[in-house]
Amino acid sequence: MLNSKNKKVSIILIIIAVVYLLASFRLPDYPYVPVDSDMVPKTLGFILLFLSILLFFVKDDAEKKQSIPKSEIKVILTVLAFVLIYILLFEIIGFVITTALFILITSWFLGYKGWVSNIIVSISIPLVIYLLFTQFLKVQLPAGILPF
Amino acid sequence: MGVFEGILTGFQVVFSLEGLLFVFLGALTGTLIGMIPGLGPITAIAVMIPITYGMNPAMALLLMAGVYYGAAYGGAASSILLNAPGESMSVPTTFDGYPLAKQGKAGKALAIAAIASFVGGTISVILLTLLTPVLAQLAISFGPTEYFALMLMGLVMVSSLADGSTIKALISATLGFMIATIGIDAQTGTQRFTMGNVNLLEGIDFLVIALGLFALAEVSNLIFERKQSTDFTSKLGSLRLNKEEVKEMAGPMGRQSILGFLIGVLPGAGGTIASFLAYISEKRLSKKPHEFGKGSVAGLAAPEAANNGASTGSFVPLLSLGIPGSGTTAVMLGALVVLGVQPGPLLMNEHPDVFWGVIASMYIGNVILLILNLPLIPYLSKILKIPRPMLISLIIVFCIIGVYGVGFRTFDLFLLVLFGVIGFFMAYLNFPAAPMLLAFILGGMMEQSLRQALTISNGSLLIFFEKPITVALLTVALISFVVPIFRNWRRKKEDKQTLSG
Amino acid sequence: MQRTSVDHIGANDRVKMKITKWRVYKLKRLLGVFIVMILMLFAAACSSGTGGGSNEESGEKTWEPEQPIEIVATAGPGSGWDTTARMAAKVLEEEGIIDQGIGVVNKPGGGGAVGWAYVHGQNSPYTIFVTSPPMLLVPLNGQSEYNYEDFTPIANLIADYGAIVVRADAKWNNLNELFEDMKKDPESISVIGASAPGSMDHIQFVRVAKEAGVDITKVKYVSDQEGGALTQLLNGNVEVYSTGVAETIEQVKAGNIKVLGITAEERLKGEVLEDFPTAKEQGIDATFINWRGFFGPPDMDEAALAYYEEKFKELNDSEGWAEIRAQFGWDELFMTSEEYKEFLAKENEAMKALLDELGLGN
Repeated sequence: MLNSKNKKVSIILIIIAVVYLLASFRLPDYPYVPVDSDMVPKTLGFILLFLSILLFFVKDDAEKKQSIPKSEIKVILTVLAFVLIYILLFEIIGFVITTALFILITSWFLGYKGWVSNIIVSISIPLVIYLLFTQFLKVQLPAGILPF
Repeated sequence: MGVFEGILTGFQVVFSLEGLLFVFLGALTGTLIGMIPGLGPITAIAVMIPITYGMNPAMALLLMAGVYYGAAYGGAASSILLNAPGESMSVPTTFDGYPLAKQGKAGKALAIAAIASFVGGTISVILLTLLTPVLAQLAISFGPTEYFALMLMGLVMVSSLADGSTIKALISATLGFMIATIGIDAQTGTQRFTMGNVNLLEGIDFLVIALGLFALAEVSNLIFERKQSTDFTSKLGSLRLNKEEVKEMAGPMGRQSILGFLIGVLPGAGGTIASFLAYISEKRLSKKPHEFGKGSVAGLAAPEAANNGASTGSFVPLLSLGIPGSGTTAVMLGALVVLGVQPGPLLMNEHPDVFWGVIASMYIGNVILLILNLPLIPYLSKILKIPRPMLISLIIVFCIIGVYGVGFRTFDLFLLVLFGVIGFFMAYLNFPAAPMLLAFILGGMMEQSLRQALTISNGSLLIFFEKPITVALLTVALISFVVPIFRNWRRKKEDKQTLSG
Repeated sequence: MQRTSVDHIGANDRVKMKITKWRVYKLKRLLGVFIVMILMLFAAACSSGTGGGSNEESGEKTWEPEQPIEIVATAGPGSGWDTTARMAAKVLEEEGIIDQGIGVVNKPGGGGAVGWAYVHGQNSPYTIFVTSPPMLLVPLNGQSEYNYEDFTPIANLIADYGAIVVRADAKWNNLNELFEDMKKDPESISVIGASAPGSMDHIQFVRVAKEAGVDITKVKYVSDQEGGALTQLLNGNVEVYSTGVAETIEQVKAGNIKVLGITAEERLKGEVLEDFPTAKEQGIDATFINWRGFFGPPDMDEAALAYYEEKFKELNDSEGWAEIRAQFGWDELFMTSEEYKEFLAKENEAMKALLDELGLGN
């Protein structure tokens, strides 16, 4: 039954709409305004529900079929994992070190083979940005384990 | 003091070696700051405040004007080169700027942006010089009902941003509007959809969504294409525009500078609405609407001219009434206060030097920026010559810095990645991302003005039919909604007739 | 010192450039040029305004900072909290009141709640923050897990007051006339402010209105967070504007609006300001102080508290700070830690009662 992309997406959207509507109906009252905070969300929820049901019956557009080879999906997921690790360690280890490692490893993983320039860029860019932010703009980036 | 006498006084301040140096340094610094996603004109000016503290006010203003224009231009550069809009008003710049850059015409795209910014900036400064006192009334003419109608008009035009299925564009817009409802509701103080998370109380920042949906989602494309040879020809950095291109952008630039200026005069969402409206209306007016979104010259020039026009326009309420009409002018007001000048209705009479100094510095800021940036373009475009793997990791890092700089918390970074993933799937499933962003920007304001109006009217809908501007804008919105449907319906009918005939 | 750092980076760049590949070389050179230019600009701007100063150390401290101090601004750059923090840091450093480096860290979000959670988590005498009435209101609205009692008030420094404003051509000439009409016909008068119900602009108005006998649940309050509140007053969409005193001065001078009453204890000083009547002198016994001061972590060590308290006293009495107060139009209001605590407890009670009556309390 769910053989078309549109139908699958439509089901997901219907679920989102229902969850959003349930949450809208549970918003607390504020009695001193003529239109409370739940009116617009409820309307939006029903609109999404309606549109999602319409989408269910729309045929997939034929001309723009995109397919992604399996090997590429692996690459994307790995980069995604790198990004998540980077973010997790961002405040703990600090901006300079995590950023340097991230640039170094990701560039290498994606096929950049010039080690010397890779290392130079990985170290200099985070340092320059860090100094620019903290010294000139006076905007703090996480220092982490570095002393400055 | 007459206009000409006044502007002469202003220029006397500006035309000193020191003055020009400050504008130049400001423009340079601003461009650099603006290129980092997340650091737009607001932050650029905010960080300048402590630096200008104790400086000669006139010089400080020149520095600020330079920074202001520089940052706006720098934002365009990151939109064009990296698909990473640094603030809401440069989102439409990505629509055609980035495709141009991808076709190896980065230099040309940057040149168009620079010229359009210059034209938009200059036309609107001229309007500012001549019309400020007259326009002060326009600036305060908009109430909640007028704003509601304006936002509605913008939202209705969402379908124009779709190049495929209208229904998908509408779904995308509805989702964007829903995201805008997250956070504390301004009219009641109720927490909506925050799931008890303090990080969501103030809602999700625009930048998180824009960089996720646009820049990060595009990174996945770059990853797929990383092995394709990146042999951009030497044209990459070339700024040369041919006659046809100049002709094509002249009309849109002229119109949208003026329209942008007028929208910018209204306190509120000036720049964003101006640039989106510019893009949409030029797409409708264009003889080649199919080129929009694929690297149209007019599609890039129009929003750039409009948002510069609007930025200048937002100085009208600030200079004539002391009302900051945008985030940037609010910070500018703060900066002026620090310099010992309180902008207000009497500024023009009590501090004519400042009033005209600001205006003169805008003329100079625009010119200096053009002179400064055109030669820089070949170097800027070379960013794209960085080998793909390196470029990809650098774009990710820039997005992360930009988002971190808004809220200084990793929560936003996870959200950024989430929106990157959403953007990836949307692209994969042919859902356009622009309507989501536009609805997110306009939706929040639309809901608030709707409910402000209804509180004032004690719940009566009649308030929307009492004011001529409101009625006019609502009519335009209605027409833009009905006409495409009607046209569709007629086309289908005709198709049927031809089929049966 | 700035000069050397410029040379240092420049030299480093040159060394690196030689070993860098051509493509990166171009980009790096560009960046290098930018950085050098910026540092020059920075140096130029700084050299014009550095006021050095040596301060005698008044011995017998049991606590001295041994590492840089972090002042948290629980909002973004350019906000009121941020400005206060940055200006205080600047004077504390420049006048040599505190020898350690002082950095300002922005932790915006949740009307302050995100930043407060951060300070609570750090729980270090090196992390202090600047705050104001939302410190009471946000927790009372149920939007923050921590309230003022979870932190250590160090000292209050400045104050601002609320103003109740109408158009210059409005029929009301004082607060009592306005409130009489609000009692008779609450539906015909809308009040606008820049923040949500339950926050400062709303509460300061409601506090005065309640004292005057208005049924505060019937007050029609509209919030405009896009900066359009004053516009809506001027163009006649709303009748009353609740805001800070400082925002009204220029409009009053231009004859666009009139201030019916301010929430200060007694009249303020200064041109225009001295003409604003207080609510009190109109027989309405209500005040609202938009206080601004510094708080430390929970259960701050007494010696550390004493150290900061004294330093902020020094700051308050310094010339540099007096200049900044004048520049920004801030009123001096110094409270020691003890006075501050008492004051906060009283304010908190009063606010809680109001919010409960409005059904906003949690």
